[in-house]
Amino acid sequence: MIALALASALAAAAEVPAPLKPFLEAKDKDGTPILSPQDRAKLDQMPEHTRQLVATAIDNVILGSPRHLKILLSLDLPNPAMEMVLQDNCILCHSDPGNQKPKNLFSPDPAKQGSNPLLNLREFTSDVHFRRGLSCSGCHGGTPHDEAMVKEIAERWPKEEERHKDRSWIPNFCARCHADPGFMRGFNPTLPTDQLAKYRGSTHGILLLQQKDSRAAQCASCHGVHDIRGPKNRTSRVFAQRIPETCGTCHANAQYMAGLKIESGEPIPTSQLAEFKTSVHGKALLEKGDLNAPSCAGCHGSHSGLPKTAASVAQVCRTCHANNGQLFDGSPHKAAFEQHKWSECTQCHGKHAIAKPTDALVGNQPGTLCADCHTKFAKDNPTCAATSAHFRAELDKLATGRAQAAPQVDLLAERGLDVEPLTRALTELDEGLVQTRSSIHAFNLVTFDKAAKPGAEALDNAHKSIAAAQGDYRFRKRGLLAAIGFMSLLALGIGLKVRDIERRRRS
Amino acid sequence: MSAQPRKGLFGWLDRRYDLAPILAFMQHKEVPLGAHPMFWYYLGGLTLFFFSVQIATGILLLVYYQVGDQTSYESIHFITTKVPFGWLVRSIHCWSAHLMILCLVLHMLSTMMLKAYRQPRELTWLTGFSLFGLALCFGFSGYLLPWNELAFFATAVGTDMVKAVPWIGHTLLEVLRGGPDVSGNTLYRFFALHVVVLPLIVGAVIAIHLIFIQKQGMAPPIGHTVTRGMKFFPDFALRDGLLWLICLILLATLAVFLPYGPGIPGIEWELGKKANPLAPAYPGIKPEWYFLWVYQLLKEFPPHILGMEGSQAALLVATVLFGVWALLPFLDRRAAREEPSPIFTDLGAAALLFVAFLTMKAWDIGGGGGPQPDAHAVARTCAIFVLVAGLAATALRRIVWKHTWFLFTAAELLHVALHGLVGMSYLAAGAIGFVAAAVGVVLTGARAQRTAAAGDRS
Repeated sequence: MIALALASALAAAAEVPAPLKPFLEAKDKDGTPILSPQDRAKLDQMPEHTRQLVATAIDNVILGSPRHLKILLSLDLPNPAMEMVLQDNCILCHSDPGNQKPKNLFSPDPAKQGSNPLLNLREFTSDVHFRRGLSCSGCHGGTPHDEAMVKEIAERWPKEEERHKDRSWIPNFCARCHADPGFMRGFNPTLPTDQLAKYRGSTHGILLLQQKDSRAAQCASCHGVHDIRGPKNRTSRVFAQRIPETCGTCHANAQYMAGLKIESGEPIPTSQLAEFKTSVHGKALLEKGDLNAPSCAGCHGSHSGLPKTAASVAQVCRTCHANNGQLFDGSPHKAAFEQHKWSECTQCHGKHAIAKPTDALVGNQPGTLCADCHTKFAKDNPTCAATSAHFRAELDKLATGRAQAAPQVDLLAERGLDVEPLTRALTELDEGLVQTRSSIHAFNLVTFDKAAKPGAEALDNAHKSIAAAQGDYRFRKRGLLAAIGFMSLLALGIGLKVRDIERRRRS
Repeated sequence: MSAQPRKGLFGWLDRRYDLAPILAFMQHKEVPLGAHPMFWYYLGGLTLFFFSVQIATGILLLVYYQVGDQTSYESIHFITTKVPFGWLVRSIHCWSAHLMILCLVLHMLSTMMLKAYRQPRELTWLTGFSLFGLALCFGFSGYLLPWNELAFFATAVGTDMVKAVPWIGHTLLEVLRGGPDVSGNTLYRFFALHVVVLPLIVGAVIAIHLIFIQKQGMAPPIGHTVTRGMKFFPDFALRDGLLWLICLILLATLAVFLPYGPGIPGIEWELGKKANPLAPAYPGIKPEWYFLWVYQLLKEFPPHILGMEGSQAALLVATVLFGVWALLPFLDRRAAREEPSPIFTDLGAAALLFVAFLTMKAWDIGGGGGPQPDAHAVARTCAIFVLVAGLAATALRRIVWKHTWFLFTAAELLHVALHGLVGMSYLAAGAIGFVAAAVGVVLTGARAQRTAAAGDRS
């Protein structure tokens, strides 16, 4: 059996299709084989029918040289992908450096080859479309079996100078498939097909499709060309953590954005990306890796990207901060903000540079947000001043109490005391603090005091737990002292007895 | 005139069991007094005292402890937080365990240095040595019982060493763990070992050890003729009791003020997190202090050496050292002839320096305290400490006790200096130290033979 298996393995290894043999034997000018032992091993590990496809491509002279084969092997493609490449004349022809000018050459390393950076063969063979079986002809026309450029390829797209000048053809081009639910169902039934409809109504869409401003982002601006990945792929330009940089490609480029204005007529700022990186959301997303934190698209939307109106901003924030929004809706500030046409949340917290809110924002002292705003817009309101002072006093009481109690956990634990009740109380206090801070958005004393009560109780429990543990420790020390006293007396007695015996023995 | 029959309980027992010979033995039993400090005679009793504390506190812990991977951690947590004085019992149990091992080691070192193992007390030494081994087993098996993270990983590392035993290593490992990995099965068998098997064996061996001591008495120093002694009852026993009482005060004080140990790796027993077999082992796991030198020795060996695995070679070295230590009474022929044996005194001093250097390195002394201590800085700092201590001890031995043999100590100090100060690898430096000691022994032997021959001729 073993001998048979060995013999058949040897026979399989020896079976090299005839057209492949010259490639295997081809040598460089210095006499070294062009296909290395590693390349040979890759060929050996291919299934027979894949190896046969290599031979057929060589036979058809479309796999033109050993160097060309070496390039394809260097992609380390899985067998099904390699089979797709070997049966696609577009890829085979455009990846042969002996057959293409750099301008049209697909290369695993365009920078090294001096070819078009968009024609990255390695990226293309990882593209989400290629992985679903859609290759060059899917977009460019023709078929994978065409042996020359067919007329349809030239006709499907606008002329080169036109298509670079006016990019408005791109959304409709992609939508040929992506807006067709019947077609898309065959590839990804869960993928929405309303991107074009949304895009048409978006600021980008209006700018590009109506105003014919080709600076506006279209599909390829965000998703790429031959290296498109799904949004859950970490290498994708539209992966949550990469979205800020993708948007920033244009929106952080002052030169590129020059002349573009917001509704009020002011120029569009280009500081959003830098501000976002310093914000609580930016830090959560980019530094902590919290993918639940919003990127640009989290607030502005993706295909339906619009600048926010005063009302819509508040609704966007409520998507995550629903409780705070609800409290604000019932607060006296709601009407006042509407009167001023302020956009609720951003008025106090800012927009792209939202910092982690602190208790220092609250209070009736100059420098606090409450006092500064009221001094300007709602002067001489003693009730508001007293309310904000009360908020601050209560918050300080809880936060200071928390800060003072927390170190006791380690201190008491080191002494071997039971710190579980204290730890539990501190956890409840933390939750209480969150609720108390959130309740400020109601700007109402009763609501605030109700929310602050569990925190205050937890703090009280923490103090009691500390007192109980300290009492226990005092009891231990006193008990030890008593035990030492008793044992010392006993030791003294024994010592006296020993001395007495010694004295008697000497006498 | 015949003696008056005793009254009371003693008389009642005496009439039935003839206690008079025992009483007579106790009345005549004496502890030798001489030129050496009496302190060394108390260490055995002190070890027994700590062992008794272990038995008493162990029984108390058993009242609430429930073995099992779902209950061990929880029950220990309950004992230390909810059971009245549970924290005290556990803390005393842990402190007493460490102090027992410390006293046991000191007792063995004093016995070794005073050559009390010599003929006719070879079996007393061997039973004592067995008790030392059993105490280490006690420590190792008890370490896992809280089923916390530290215990779990330390046991995983410790039991893994068994694999190094040639041929049967893997089988032994499975027997020890009750499977391929540390699990609830390991916990059950370690519990059985700790509370049933080891106490029974230790009880029996202690009984034999004590019978030997009572039969032969305590050993006087070499060349010392016993002219007088201290009555064991009540003189020595009262002093013993006094020391035990002081140690009890010390134990209680330590248990109250340092309930989880001094916080030094290898001497700490804070419960921490529950063991999670699926969690990755975290760096810096160290065994208890008395295993630290073996742990460090394992680290000093490369993965493969001389056709063996590094761990096998390290364990071979440790086994040879333990073997030499166990067989001292049979190797030290001069002591058996009641002659001073400076070679073995020096061997003991060198062994102490060897163990001290490895233990200090395992503690990363001088490494800066970070998660990745600087190995060279650790070796240098530890070497400086050991060299200073070694030279001071050598000077003391020369000046106070008039010792003349320092070859092994010198070889070990050379080993330490080459590794710590010159930067040579531990093993290469050790090999040079070993060769230097061997050459020294040969040259000294040759010189002694020449001197003897010259004496014969003259």
